[in-house]
Amino acid sequence: MRSEEDASRAIERYSDTVRRLCMIHLKNYADTEDIFQTVFLKYVLSSVSFESEEHEKAWIIRVTINACKDLLKSFFRSRTVSLEQLLDQPAPLAPEHREVLEAVLALPPKYKDVVYLHYYEGYTAPEIGRILGKNVNSVYTLLTRARQLLRETLGGDAGA
Amino acid sequence: MHDPLKEAFGQIHAEAELKEHTLTYLREKTGNYAQARSFPYRPVLSMAACLLLVLCLGLWRAYFTPVSVISIDINPSLELEINRFDRVLSVEGYNEDGQALADSLDLRFLSYQDALEQVLASEMVTDCLARDEFLSIAVADDNTQRQETILSTVRACTAQHQNSHCYAADRTDLDAAHEAGLSYGKYQAFLELQALDPEVTPQDVQQMTMREIRERIAALSGAAAGQTPDTSPDQTPGQGYGQGNGQGYGQGSAQGNGQGYGQGSAQGNGQGYGQDSGQGYGYHHGQGYGHE
Repeated sequence: MRSEEDASRAIERYSDTVRRLCMIHLKNYADTEDIFQTVFLKYVLSSVSFESEEHEKAWIIRVTINACKDLLKSFFRSRTVSLEQLLDQPAPLAPEHREVLEAVLALPPKYKDVVYLHYYEGYTAPEIGRILGKNVNSVYTLLTRARQLLRETLGGDAGA
Repeated sequence: MHDPLKEAFGQIHAEAELKEHTLTYLREKTGNYAQARSFPYRPVLSMAACLLLVLCLGLWRAYFTPVSVISIDINPSLELEINRFDRVLSVEGYNEDGQALADSLDLRFLSYQDALEQVLASEMVTDCLARDEFLSIAVADDNTQRQETILSTVRACTAQHQNSHCYAADRTDLDAAHEAGLSYGKYQAFLELQALDPEVTPQDVQQMTMREIRERIAALSGAAAGQTPDTSPDQTPGQGYGQGNGQGYGQGSAQGNGQGYGQGSAQGNGQGYGQDSGQGYGYHHGQGYGHE
């Protein structure tokens, strides 16, 4: 078991990442809180020794995505909560950001992780493949298609 | 698209409140991070589970191991296997009637006393008893004390039936009995009969009622007894038998028989004992013909 210092350090360092992943998968704040608790409890209790910070971060991402999927699977939840309601949760956003986020959230679920990991976290396709347990080529394909979809919604101006 | 996306995502931060909640939760969950795992729950639990399993298996085995056998024979031959908790484990019929009786009653897991009462109260058995058939109950058990207990219970159950005989039996003979396809009680009777008449086979005995077997035993032993004083059979066979019977059995019905056979043998020859015995009364009517 890890110490409290470890826990708060991890929370400081990774809570934004977890929060964003939650945002693209989940639709309300209560679920986000659940995921936070699950992920960091797992972190505290796990006996995995991390080789590097990168390793640790990838572990957190992996655990968060799994936890989100589990939550979505386990709850028989209605998926009809509107995006407006969802976007009320985080701090008020500037209109252009809102538009972009809405476009990302409107993507089919399988694209969201790769988009986030690639565009925000800056992971390369092989790294994403390792984290998500996917073939590198599938990651490339997912990225390409996601880019196309985003370009359609956001207009032609967005070039990768 | 890189930058707007990055910017947009960059706007998202975990709320301080959220972090705080998570930390509180973790503190609660982990008992303030002090939950030293001093007690090895996992190994202890698995050990306990194993023990429980072994215990269950042992109990299961103990429950389903027959320790004593109650063999009931009238005409239906039945055997009840009893476990150490005095429960009936299986009911097996050793002839057609017995099988039919076993099928008609549901005795499994009843206490042997209840089972016995049900058997004795069943139509087939009451019919047989009404016909004055002979009821034999044998109790076989390795443990003499338990055998005594069961036997006394069985005796209490059958106290109202006159023609009953309860006795303790030896388990070692049991296998031999089953090999011959007989229930224990019948097997004992068969052995007795075989000693007198070596030609009898278990198959013959299987379809006979206990009374018939008893009668034959009585007849054969009677014949053996009657043979010795019979010194002059050539001239007056009728008299010779009459005396022989009279002396040999001496009880109750013996007189009546004496006359009946006297006539029978005087007229015909001495080979007709199968027919005559069918009409006989007690157990001890003579069939000492055929020795002319």
